[in-house]
Amino acid sequence: MILDVLDGGLLTTVQDAGRPGWTHLGVPVSGAADPWSRAVANLLAGNDEGEAALEMTLIGPRLRARTGGLIGLAGADLGGRVVGGRRLGVGRSHWVAAGDEIAFEGAGAGRRPGRGARCYLAVAGGIDVPVVLGSRSTCLAGGFGGLDGRAIRPGDQIAKTDAPDRGGPAEAELVWPAVNPNGTGRDDGPVALRVLPSPDDGADALADGSWRVAAAADRVGVRLEGRALPAELGGETLTHGVPWGAIQVPPDGRPIILSADHQTTGGYRVAAVVISADLPLVGQLRPGDEVRFVVTDLAEADRAVRARHEALAAGAAALREAAGWDDLVASAGG
Amino acid sequence: MADEIAPFGDSALLVTLGRAADRSLTVRARAIAEALGAAGASTAGLGRPIPAHASVLVPFDPLVLDREAAVGFVRRAMETAPDGAGAEPDLARTASAPSAVEIPVRYGGDDGPDLDAVAGHCGLRPEDVIELHAGARYEVLFLGFAPGFAYLGGLPVALSTPRRASPRERVPAGSVAIAGEQSAVYPQAMPGGWNLIGRTDTVLFDPARTEPSLLSPGAAVRFVPAR
Repeated sequence: MILDVLDGGLLTTVQDAGRPGWTHLGVPVSGAADPWSRAVANLLAGNDEGEAALEMTLIGPRLRARTGGLIGLAGADLGGRVVGGRRLGVGRSHWVAAGDEIAFEGAGAGRRPGRGARCYLAVAGGIDVPVVLGSRSTCLAGGFGGLDGRAIRPGDQIAKTDAPDRGGPAEAELVWPAVNPNGTGRDDGPVALRVLPSPDDGADALADGSWRVAAAADRVGVRLEGRALPAELGGETLTHGVPWGAIQVPPDGRPIILSADHQTTGGYRVAAVVISADLPLVGQLRPGDEVRFVVTDLAEADRAVRARHEALAAGAAALREAAGWDDLVASAGG
Repeated sequence: MADEIAPFGDSALLVTLGRAADRSLTVRARAIAEALGAAGASTAGLGRPIPAHASVLVPFDPLVLDREAAVGFVRRAMETAPDGAGAEPDLARTASAPSAVEIPVRYGGDDGPDLDAVAGHCGLRPEDVIELHAGARYEVLFLGFAPGFAYLGGLPVALSTPRRASPRERVPAGSVAIAGEQSAVYPQAMPGGWNLIGRTDTVLFDPARTEPSLLSPGAAVRFVPAR
């Protein structure tokens, strides 16, 4: 299928499973900020879960289908609809006909307004942009990957790859059958993020009370506000490599949760690290959200990542059955 | 202090070799990262290690590789990697080797708006700053911050200057800069707080190249005045 971009939305980028092989040269890993939803969108479109998909942020694009095809949608409900026609719900696949114009007007237009920041649109067969350093993900800092290293804009064309798609069930809508055992971040109340203590101190102080997501929340990191950690828990340290989910504490005591585009090294103290299974929740945080941290241990972190993998595999198995996609599998590491 | 291997989140280990920037520790961190990188190329679940001043971050996929197995790989790499202390006196020699990367620089003016401020801070004339900066031989300690951004050790002590009090919103690509005891070249236009003393047209990072980054860990570097 081919989609013409009429309006790019707030920040819509091509993202896949990321570019982990070049961090020693300062290249951020990138990839979807909510990898669970990227995986679900892909599986709904009959793709490998790590394929390239469109990541939309708060307000999505307007796209016109030049040719028809199957899409999968997952993540925050950004009010997707066929203009003048039906709604395009998340956690579902949809058949888009040639000539259809589809729009994502924003979280306020969704069925459950107000929660979640990012929605993923997967195209059956994947999105055809060049593979750069092993990935199709957009690296905004380096200006490469995706569509010329930038967000999509009017005049761009989103085309499926040459790979044959599964020719999914035309007119049929598949529904994602599995629940993320680690939550979606779109329920009411504060978003609870499980964290592991870091070699620096600060996890307990971080978990003692709640935080508010500041306006500075993007693919690089999520700033928290509402209070500050004591000075001795923050400040500069000898620069070292930092993982996705590390919670840095600058001298002002206001923590930053590192997200998918984070710098490979950092020079601030790290109070704690969000467990891998809860990183999708970080990708769905939006300014104003209330966040609290729960200190956990490696055993629970490992159980949670395994549970996530099993839920993806179960969902893939159910779709395989429903759509007759014999070889659809959720690969490890999703 | 003793070397330390500690979990850093559930999908990485942080190897800490010391608490201060010390070239022998940086050399050792690099050697451990290289040994691990060689192991990782043939080991499912072991990610690309990131060396820094006195540490190595070792990412791994806990679904594929046991944490204890990952620790085992790190221990073996630490045993096989040469001790950095032995490499201590090598800086000048390796940097003057023919393999040193030469980067032409236009110093001062619009290309280096902080040259005068650096000179003022150091109690030198701007031309002295240029002479010292271009006369030194540098070594890529490690990369981070942005694609192709190399932290260069070997800055003459007389040029040591703290970061600017307020960072610039946009530093032009190719800006040659100084902060603390290090020098660097900004590969892309981005926000930054280092003191800009010049600019180069050399492309530091190009993802289309076989070796995307001009500078890789351990490489020797010289700056050559272009006017």
